[in-house]
Order: sequence, then C-alpha cells, then structure tokens
Amino acid sequence: MTFLLDGFQTALQLHNLFFAFLGVLIGTAVGVLPGIGPMSGVALLIPVTASMTSGFEPAQAATSSIILLAGVYYGAMYGGSTTSILLNTPGESSSVVTALDGYQMAKQGRAGSALAIAAIGSFAAGIVSLIALVLLAEPLSNVALKFGPAEYFSLMILGLAAVSGLAGNSMTKAWMMTVFGLLLSTIGLDSVSGVARFTYNISFLYGGLEFLTVAVGLFALGEVFKAILYNEQNNDGIAKIGRIIPSREELKESAGPIARGSLLGFLVGILPGAGATLASFFSYMLEKKISKHPEKFGKGTIAGVAAPESANNAASGGAMIPLLTLGIPGSGTTAILMGALMMYNVQPGPLLFDEHPDVAWGLIASMFIGNIMLLILNMPLVKIFAKIIETPPKYLLPLIIAISIFGVYAVQVTTFDIFLLLGFGVLGYLLAAHDFPLAPLVLGLVLGPMIENNMRRALTASNGDFLVFIEKPISFVLLIAAILWIAIPFLMKLKGKSVIVNEDM
Amino acid sequence: MNKTFDRIATLTFLAIGVLFMIESLRISKSAYGSVVGPNVFPFLLGLILVLLSVKLLFETMRYPSTHGEKQRMQYKKFWTIFITAIFYAILLEPIGYVITTFLFLIIGFQTMEKGSIWKSIIIAACFSLGVYGLYVKMLQGTLPSWPIWLR
Repeated sequence: MTFLLDGFQTALQLHNLFFAFLGVLIGTAVGVLPGIGPMSGVALLIPVTASMTSGFEPAQAATSSIILLAGVYYGAMYGGSTTSILLNTPGESSSVVTALDGYQMAKQGRAGSALAIAAIGSFAAGIVSLIALVLLAEPLSNVALKFGPAEYFSLMILGLAAVSGLAGNSMTKAWMMTVFGLLLSTIGLDSVSGVARFTYNISFLYGGLEFLTVAVGLFALGEVFKAILYNEQNNDGIAKIGRIIPSREELKESAGPIARGSLLGFLVGILPGAGATLASFFSYMLEKKISKHPEKFGKGTIAGVAAPESANNAASGGAMIPLLTLGIPGSGTTAILMGALMMYNVQPGPLLFDEHPDVAWGLIASMFIGNIMLLILNMPLVKIFAKIIETPPKYLLPLIIAISIFGVYAVQVTTFDIFLLLGFGVLGYLLAAHDFPLAPLVLGLVLGPMIENNMRRALTASNGDFLVFIEKPISFVLLIAAILWIAIPFLMKLKGKSVIVNEDM
Repeated sequence: MNKTFDRIATLTFLAIGVLFMIESLRISKSAYGSVVGPNVFPFLLGLILVLLSVKLLFETMRYPSTHGEKQRMQYKKFWTIFITAIFYAILLEPIGYVITTFLFLIIGFQTMEKGSIWKSIIIAACFSLGVYGLYVKMLQGTLPSWPIWLR
C-alpha cells in the first residue's frame, strides 16, 4: 500500500500529470480516428516521447514516457467507441461490437446517452482492473522471482504460442511471423559471446535492428500506405449527439452489464493472446445470452454498448499484469510498450517492482488519474472529439509519414533507419493485406533476445542437455500448456468448428 | 486470400530460412561462458521457418483461389508519395530538415488531393518550422539544420 502511495506521489508530479493528460488526450484522438489503432498510435509516439523526455534523468524519463504511452493505450479504448456510435465505423477493432447497438441508439437520437454510458462503463472497468492489478502485482511477481532460466524460456514460449494461436486466420502464417520476428532479433552482436551475426560488416547493423524503427514502420506506415492505396472515405453523416447525461433508468439498466463486462474483460485481458477485441466480443455474447430480452440486441439496447465498452477497457488493464509482473507481453500493443520500456533500460518483469518501483507504481497510479481525466474528457468534451473525425485524410496521412520519419531520425540520427522504416512500412502493408498478422512478428522481435539468453543459460547449466526443459516441473507444465494452446484450436478446426480469432490486437 | 501472393511470400520466407541456416553455419561455434554457441538459436529458427513455409506451401495448394471484389487501388498516389519519401530521406541530411519536410508535405498533400494550395503551404510550413523550433530550439535536439548556402 505504501508503494501505491509513493506511486501517487510520482504520478502527481506536475510534469507527470501533464504527460498523463497528453497521453489520454492523444489516445482519445487515436481511438476516434479510423485508420490509426492503438498499436500504431503507441508506436508513433515512442520517438516523440523519447525526444520530449531527453532532458530528464533516465529513470524519470522512463516513468514519464511510459505514463504517456500507456495513456495512449487505454485512452484509445475510450475513443474507439465514439466513431462506432456516431458513424457506424469503429475507430479500432475492439469497438466493432459497440457499433451494433451504439449506432442504432444514435439513429434513435440517443447518441448522447450511448456515449455517456460508454465512458462511464470504460471508467468503472478501468478502476476495477486497476484495483485487481494492484492486488495481483506483488504476489505474481514473487512467484515469477523463483523462476530459473529454464522456466523463463518455457513461459516465453507459452506467451508466443498463445499470441500466435489466436492471431489471424491462418495459424501457420502467425507462426511464420513469430519465427521471422525471432530471426530478425538475432541480427547484430550476440549478447552472450559478442560475436557479430548477420551483420555483413554494415556498421548500422551491429546494434541490431532497432525495435522502434520496425514497429513504427510496420504499424504506423503500414496503415498509412493502406489508407493511401484504398483511399478510404466515409460519406455518412455524423449523428447528432443530443443530451449527454443518461437517464436514471439507463444507468440502472447498464449497471449489471458494466460489472460483468469489467470482470470478464479483465480475465480475458490477463490471458496472453486474447486482447480487447475478444473481450468485447465475449461480453456482448454473454449479455445477449443472459438478457431477458435478447431480441432487443442489435436494435439499440444500452446493455449492448455498456458491456463491450467496459470489457475492452478492463482487458487493456488486465493486459498490463503479465507485462509488468512477468515481463511477457500478451498482445501487440503491450509488446510495443515493453519495447519502449526496454529502450530506457527498464526491464519489465518480476524485478521491475524491486528495481524500479517508481516506474511500476508510478504507472499504476497514473492510470487511476488518467481514467478520471478520460471520464472528464469524454463526457462534456465528446462533441469536440467528434469533430476530429472530420479531419481530412489529405492532410492527416502525409503528416503521419512526416511524424514517423521525424521520430525515427530524432532517436537514431541516421538516414539508414529512415530507409529501413520505409521498407518495413511496405512490408507491413503487404503482410497485413494478405492475412499475415503483424503482432506476433513484433512479439518475436521483443522476446527474441530474452528467449535466446534464457535458453542458452539453461542449456549451459545442464551441459547442453535439452531435456532440462522437461525435467523441471514448472517448465514442463508451461510447455504442456503451450502445446495445448496450439493443439486445441487445431483439433477444433479439424472437427469443423469455427474458432474465434483476434483480427487485430 | 490471394494465392499468388501467398506462394511468393512462402517461397521468400523459405529462402530467408535457408539463408539464415547457411549463414549461421559460418558463425563461430564455440563461445566462452556458454556451451551453446551463438549459432544454435538462429539455425533452429531458420529450420522452423523452412518447415513452416513448406507447410504453408501445401496449404496454398488446398484452398480454392478466391477472387474477391477488386477495389480500385490508388497505385499512382502511393508510388508518388513513396518515392517522394525516399527522396526526403536522401536529401534530409544535405539540405536540412525544414526545407525537405516542407517540400515533402506539399507534394504529399497535393498528391492526395489537388487544390487549396495555400492551405497546404500554411500547414506544411507550420509543421516543419514548428517541429524544428520545438525540437531543436526548445528541447536542444539534433536535426539537420539549414543548408550551408543559406546560413
């Protein structure tokens, strides 16, 4: 508890409040703008925050940056609902379900209540998942501290298996992306022996492919290129927002869905691989199942907005748990957050709470504050945010390219990385357009060095005997879980059942 | 799903896997402090990638080729902006951040949609000067400044 209070002290410093505010503000905008998801938004802002915090001390810079980036992440979950409700075009994939009932409500002139309930639900869910995060963080990281290299290796394999098993339509493609990401992570100097690998005497490659360049290229530029090629335009009019304060009846009606959505979303969020999109999906189906009037769903019932919006926010909070306590990101966005932390030499994982308590608890405390800010931003100011939707892509898309190039150059200070950035942008578009999921690639790139080091340390301790991973009981259980995670959907597919997959994390 | 693309991609990944395997054989095997040398991990990964590519190649044989609705793609716009971006990267260091960014944005805006040239110029100027001023003057960062003949 004292740690949390210390965390609030960190988070309440003036510059951190400013960073949290900026984060949630940009996050809401990212959520509102169709085409930029939370993943590309966070990737795009890493270099920007890096340059903003360049004058700070290292630990402080890490805290402030991660406060801002996490703010973008959960802020996007709030903002995503706005376009779903007003335009019937979800700002990002976790708000797809919200559009079903939200847009119907908007058509009936109840857009204001729908938006308000979405914001209230998101807020309640954010708080619920944060309380759970506070309670679970210590015990979980204590368990993880007992892990040796073999256990860690198996845990990370489980993480990869979970994400690859659920991403995209073809599991083969997802696995190929994972392995490709792992392979890319081996480029550069080997951290154990200092031998140069796959560098071909190109001096830029000795440090390895910079995570930042790859992430911004794949996600931010990939999305922009796609938007340019398809020239997406929505000509639908924006629904009038009307009265914002929901009636007492609507509040009463949505209390249950919000509570259930928060819990379910949080549990789904903790699971690696299952992200906010799946959480919102599940909670919608759950509400429909237990509702007394299932026929109302899809025709503008408030429960159909409240439940998925709570769930996707709770999931984004839940996803922070494996990231902070185990050092295993469960989704593309958390992988990017992890890459950002590692840029500051802060290693997420069980030691985080001991070595950098100010970063960990400062972040958690800032998320409480950020959620309150978001509630304020999204209730009275929602009309202003709705205006952002009208930003013409003509100006937006070239500006995003310019911001990406500026960001990468500001951090790397070489033109080589700009070419790499453009190359990965094209690659990101091509792969995503043909059903090769990108999240596993980034995950592989982030986890690659850790997996390799732990594997080699475990093998060194066992004198090169690969059986060590099976002989240690915890490691064995984790590996079995990884195999089951892959095998079960595979078997279900063989039986002809359709498996729900995460299109976008 | 696009069969042709999947096949090309599969063969590319197959080649990448083989390349990593061959190249990892050239890395020195022994390493001080570790029984497992720096070559093992990439070699195994290359092997897995090869196996997965072969699996996907078989899968592409199986599913029927689907021809979805072809959307009209804006290749011309894309290539114009992409090539401009490449020139932007090449010229960034020789002639400085502000000029290249300004020009890139003007060309970008006008390629996306012709017209309202003044608005484009104002936005491009605000962005390039604004970023330069904020980052270099206020935050003391480094960006290529003005070219020598302008200073």
